[in-house]
Order: sequence, then C-alpha cells, then structure tokens
Amino acid sequence: MATERIAFLTQMVEVFTSTVSFGERLNNLVHLLARYLKVDLALYFGLDKARETLILNLSSQGPVPPHLRVEFPLGQGLVGEVAKTRKFKTVQRGQPGVLAANQALEKLHPAFVTLAGFPVADDNFFYGVLLFADRLERHFTSTERQNTHLANLMLAGTLRQALLQEEAKKRIAELSVLFEVGKALSSTVELDVLLERVVTTTAKVISARGAALQIIDGVTKEVRISSQYGEIPLSCPSPTAILATPASPGELPFLQGQEANAAGQIHYFLAVPLTFKGQLQGTICVYDKFAANGGYLSFDPENRQLLYTMAGLIVNAIENALTFKQVETLAEKNERMVRNLTVLQVISRALLTTVQEERLQEIILQGLTLEQGLGFDRAVVLLVDEANQTLKGIKGALRSPELKNVPLFEALVSPLAAEMKMEDWQIPLRSDQGPLALTVLQKRPYHIQGIAVEALSRALPADFIASEFFVVPLMAKDRTTGVIMVDNGASGRPLEEEPLHVLQMFSTHAGLVVENAHLYSTIEANNRELLLIRERMLESDRLAALSSLASGMAHEIRNPLVSIGGFARRIAKMVDEKSPLRGYVEVIQEEVTRLEKLLREILDFTGENLSFYGDHDLNRLLEDTLLLVQRDLDAYKIKVVKDFSDLPRLHCDDRQIKQVFYNLFQNALQAMSQGGVLNIRTYTLEREDGLYEAAAITDTGGGIPLEVLHNIFNPFFSTKDYGTGLGLAIAQRIVSRHYGQVEVNNELGKGVTFIVSLPVAKYCLVKDPGHGAAQASTLKAPKGGGR
Amino acid sequence: MKKILVADDEMSIRLLYSEELKEEGYEVYLAANGREALDIVAKVPLDLVILDIKMPEMDGIEALRQIKERQPDLPVLLSTAYGEYRQDFATWASDEYLVKSSDLDDLKAAVKRYLKD
Repeated sequence: MATERIAFLTQMVEVFTSTVSFGERLNNLVHLLARYLKVDLALYFGLDKARETLILNLSSQGPVPPHLRVEFPLGQGLVGEVAKTRKFKTVQRGQPGVLAANQALEKLHPAFVTLAGFPVADDNFFYGVLLFADRLERHFTSTERQNTHLANLMLAGTLRQALLQEEAKKRIAELSVLFEVGKALSSTVELDVLLERVVTTTAKVISARGAALQIIDGVTKEVRISSQYGEIPLSCPSPTAILATPASPGELPFLQGQEANAAGQIHYFLAVPLTFKGQLQGTICVYDKFAANGGYLSFDPENRQLLYTMAGLIVNAIENALTFKQVETLAEKNERMVRNLTVLQVISRALLTTVQEERLQEIILQGLTLEQGLGFDRAVVLLVDEANQTLKGIKGALRSPELKNVPLFEALVSPLAAEMKMEDWQIPLRSDQGPLALTVLQKRPYHIQGIAVEALSRALPADFIASEFFVVPLMAKDRTTGVIMVDNGASGRPLEEEPLHVLQMFSTHAGLVVENAHLYSTIEANNRELLLIRERMLESDRLAALSSLASGMAHEIRNPLVSIGGFARRIAKMVDEKSPLRGYVEVIQEEVTRLEKLLREILDFTGENLSFYGDHDLNRLLEDTLLLVQRDLDAYKIKVVKDFSDLPRLHCDDRQIKQVFYNLFQNALQAMSQGGVLNIRTYTLEREDGLYEAAAITDTGGGIPLEVLHNIFNPFFSTKDYGTGLGLAIAQRIVSRHYGQVEVNNELGKGVTFIVSLPVAKYCLVKDPGHGAAQASTLKAPKGGGR
Repeated sequence: MKKILVADDEMSIRLLYSEELKEEGYEVYLAANGREALDIVAKVPLDLVILDIKMPEMDGIEALRQIKERQPDLPVLLSTAYGEYRQDFATWASDEYLVKSSDLDDLKAAVKRYLKD
C-alpha cells in the first residue's frame, strides 16, 4: 500500500511541476485521480464568477462536448451540496432522492451507482468540486480520501495561481489599453477628434456595441451628443438623472440598467457623469456588452471602473483642449496686435518722411485704406477751421487696388489712386450738427450706425452715405484739430471693435503729426520772415558801414570847408570890388560851395537820409508786425481781433512803418500784461488834402492817466506805468516824415486807441520827406521833429 | 545888446561865428565844449545859445539837455557838420537844427527869428 501511495504522490508532484499549460495539468490530475481511485469517471465543476453556479469544466474522458453542458446551482445535487458545505460526501444511487438530484449526471455516466464529491478549496477561497462516479458500490478508504484531499489542495493552489495569472494578464491588457488611450489623447489637440477617439477606444476596450458622449453646452445648458461610436439603441440618460441616482457611500454615481427599445428588444446600458472643476459637464454611456455566444451581457463593476477612468481622461482632455484653445485665441489676438502695431509703426515711419501737410494727409489716407495697412474701404480727413468754427472736408480716398502687392512702406508714399473731392463739405461745430461735429466737440470716437447715419446724411452728400462709419478725432495735445472717418461700404464688411481701437491709436499719432506739420509750416513762415529781416539788416549794415566811412570823411572835411568858405566870404566883403583879390576870393568861395554841395550829395547817398520807400499793403505790414510780437501776445493771453478793409497800396518805408506799429503794439502789450483784447481796424478816410488810410489800434489796458496824456509824445517823457514814451515819440516822428498823423483817443478806465493815418501813395511821391518838411504844415509833429 | 553863446571845439569856427554875429550887433560868448558852455549859461543871462554837437568832454546833446532842464525858454540852436543827428530824438528838444555851411545866412536868419524883439 505504501509503495502505491508513494507512486501516486510522485505522479502527482510530476503533474504539478510539469511545464505544460495549466489546463493540461488540470486534465492530467483528473486522469491521475481517476486511475488512483479506480473509478469510471472523474469530473471537475468550477464555480462561476457570479459564485452561484457550478459548471462542468473537465472530464477524465477527454474534452466535454458543448451538448453535454452540465451545471448545478449552489446547493443542488451532490456537486451543489459539496460546494455549499465544502465537505467530502459520497452517495449511492439507491438512496432516496439521489437519482433525482443528480439526474444530469446520467448524461455523462448513465449507470453510475456511487458518486463522491470532494471540495476544491484552500484556506480562504473555494474553487469548485471534484466528482467521481463509478458503476459499483464503492467506499473510499481514509488513505484514499487523504490523498485525494491532498491532490485537491494542490489543485486549489494551481487554480489560485491560474486566477492570479489571469488577473495579471487582464491588468496588463487594461494598462496597455490605457496606454493606447493616453497615446491617442496626447497625439492630437483637436478636441472633436480627441473625443471621438476616446469614445471609440472606450467602446472597444469594454467590447460594447455602442458608446456616446454627451456634453452640456456652456451657454444654452442644452445636452447634446458630441461624439458617438457604433449603435446607440437607447437614448442616453441625462447627466442630472445619473447624479440623482442614490449611490452607496464612498462610491461614485452611475446609472446602470436595461430597457426595451421600440422593437421590444432588451438592451443594456451603463452611464457615468463627467464633472469638470466640480461642475457637471456631461455623460459617457456605453450600450450592450458583446457576449462570447453572440448575445449581449450586462456591464460589470470592472467596466464601470474603466468608464470612470475614461470619464477622467475626457475631462482632462477637454480641460487641456479648452486651455489650449484659450492660449490659441490669445496667441491669435497677440498676432493680430503685433501685425497692427507693425502696420502702425510702418505708417509712422512713412509719416516721418515729410512735413508737408498735404503729403501727410495722403499717407494717412493710404495707411487707412490699403489692404496691407488698416484695410478700410474708404477714408476721409476733415480738419477744424478755427476761424469759422467749422469742420471742413480736406481729402478723401478709396483703396488703391494696384498697390495691393506693393510693400506697405512703398505703397504708403505712393500717390493716391482715387482721390475724392470734398471741398464743399462744411459742418458747423455745433452739437446739433450730427456725429461729426460731436466727435470734435466731445473729443471721442463714434461708431456711427442706424439712426446716427441718418443724422450724418443731412450734412454729407447722399452718394457718400454707407450703412456704418467709424469717426475718430485727430487730437493735438488737448485740442481736436480734425476727424478721420472710415467705412467699409464698398465691400459691405461689418466694422468690428478691434479696428476701432487700432484706428484710435492711429489717430492719436496722426493728430500729432498733422499738428507738428502745421506748426512746422508756421515756423517756416516765421523763419522766412526772420531771414528777410536779417537780409535787410545785413544790407543796411553794409550800407551803414559804407555810409559811416564816407560820412566820417565828409564831416572831417565839412568843418574846415565851413571855415575856409566863411572867411572867404568875409574877405570878399572887405575887398574892394575892383581889386584883383576880389576875383581870387570869389573863386575860393565858389569852389567851397561846389565842394559843400558835393558833400551833401555824398551824405544823402550814403545814408544820412537812407530810406526804403516802396508800395506796400498796410494790412500786410500790420500782420508782419503782429508776428514779431506774437510770442508776447500769447504769453500775456491777449486776444487779437482784426477788422481789415481792402486798402490801396501805400507809398512808404515799410521798415519804418513797421517800427511805428511795433512801438504801438509794445505800448498796448505793456498796458495789457494781465491779458486783454487788441483790436486792429484798418479803413480809408477822405480828408481835405486827399485820401488817407488809417490803422486804429485799440487796447483794453485801462487808458492813460490824464495828468500824463499831454506828454506822451514828448521825447523826454517816460513813465513806468504806461510804456516808455520814447516809442511813441519815434512813432510820431516816423509818421510825420510820411506826412501822416498819430492821434490818441483815450478812454480812461477802458483803454487807448492810437490812430495812425497815412496819405495814400499817389499823394505822396516825394522821395525824401526830410527835404520837404516845410510843406507839411498840417502835420501834428512835435517841436523840432519836422525841422 | 543880445547875448549869444557859441560853443564849438573848432577854433576857426568859433572865430568865424563870433566875427559874423558881432557884425550883426550881438554880444558873443565863446565855449570850446559843453562843460564850458554850461558854466557860461550859469553865469551870464543869455538870449540864445548855438551848440556844436561833436565836442570833447561834453557834447552838444548833453549840453542841450541840461540847458533845457534849467532854462527851458532859452532858445538853443544846434549847428553841426552832421545831418544824421536829426534822427536822434534827443536833438528834437532844440529849437532849430542846422547843418553847418560856409554860407551863414541860414544861421543868421534863424538867430534873428528867435531874437526878433
């Protein structure tokens, strides 16, 4: 017996340590046990996953054909009983109830008499039942039972090992699935493609017939299927319905069940919610798990676990994609901004190429309309006319299509292709004059549309009107110098918010540039004037140098000549008429007289009475002189009001007349150092001796105190309170040399008016007024001034 | 007898003027510059002064200013070789501005105008 037992154990160890597959080992063991116990048949029933049914897995007579499928629910038949009690049991066919309970076994062994069941289990797990059947009535010795039990323990160990191995394989498979999914997720950032892949992978991994992803729309809160795979036999449970499902504590919510569709077929579903940052975002749902036999199965907890994993991945992917999309949008916006700034930079570079106002306007219009610039269909520039308080059309342009492929800078400095005529655009700067006037007055941009366009159409020609406009003010410091108006009427493209911002940036720059050009042209005019004055001064300096040399010599000669001539005359008076000396003295006398005459001519020519007489416009002389005191006028905040009439040309020395006005302006300035109004009026007046033109210069400096009034033309008179006094004396003298008059009209407490009246050219043709002073009996010249 | 002061730095001119004016029946005082002229004006009750402009120490314009300050009613004639001082407002205070000439008729006529009575 002992040798028999040793042989069995040896064989058993061989079976278990053999390198054949697990199924083979199990097979061999069943055979070995059948032989050892000398029974007809040995069978192994394994407990299914649901742990409810025992299913025939192996037979010592070879593979079990499908039609011999035998199973026992837990507790039924000997197999079920052993499984339940986990204790060895043997029964005989003759015993009551045995046949009925184990009838299924007759399919395998029609004539069995003895049945013996051994539980296959280890310390903590039950695997199945080994059943032996024999045609004889059999009893098993304790050794047989012990050996079989030993074999069963080892069998349990092998089964455990097999299960673990299977589990590990499954885990590895799952991991590789997740790895694949992860790869899929990271391979693309297009959200739609990504979700499609996730849904497909989910369905495939679970081996479901279909899968669907529902997302709640962020704005409308509507739930819609964003991607799906395979067949969707039932409608997806709503995300809120899932959350409403009571879940056991510590478990994540889900909804699982079965439903009949319209055709009455039963379908299974499993759905889990998608939550993103604590917010319900949607659902992922799978349908009908494929079974091995071609039917459908319900989903198990493992599937649910996978679905949660997938849901997590989807949420991450959505989050990533959203972040990416935001970054992308931001990058796009940045790119546009950079482009806009580049365009602005190129335009400002182009604007630096000139200081001519007209050229600048052209560059501005090109910049606004070029495709590669700011790209508006049409643009116009209107400038404020301060004097008339109107907004005047200056220049407008449509896009130049032939410049489309020309580099921006080059295109900007090219001439305008289609310039618009808009000289007759005149809009008064009042708040009731529509949006253009408002843009100037309120210094803010407008997006003119709808009813505002109607208001605009009253001011502008009908063929100009488009459906919407942008208007931005051109600003220089805090003043509005004009407006830029653009539209996309030709192409019908809508005007967007962003270009308006760019336009504003542009107009700020353009406003400064236009203002600078304006200032530049003013400075240029002033420079020209200064240059002219300098030239004249140089000229007069040259003449003065020449004159001082000549006159120095002439004067040195004059004194001795006077003595020689004077004494010659005395001698002539004393010498008798008949004396020959008389003739000699007369020769001296005549020669001296001739020399004196020559001297006078030289001195006249070289400048004793040097003057620059010509025909001049009195208004122009006043304007020129105003330029010289402009700075002080600005500094004292003195407003100049001009009321000029058309005047005939005046024959005068323009330098001297300007000196007169300059002195009078200086007086007015000193009287109005706290600000005021300088009124300048010119007019003609008829007098007894002919036509005069006059300039009346009125200040608001409070007037001249009566006690000093009579002294103001006195060359020695000066008062700190009102001017120098010298200026007026000089003015008086110059005017009298021109046969004119200076009159004073003093309004104490208000101001003074000085009226300079000068005879018009044709009445004043004398070259040197100094020699004709005796005729000027009507002059109001000071003592000695007119000789 | 009317008293006339002639101030001129040129001795020959002083001599010519004094001879001519004495002949016309005036009492003539002479000065070689403005300062001397002011001294005489201060001491002698004069009827008329003839001043040259360019003189050393004190010129005729300063002398004119001081004389007019002290005796505004005393007639002062400027007799100069220079025409351009006529532009200088300071000379406008004089009663007459005469450019020197060997023919003294203008000067004598002017003197006569101021000393009529």
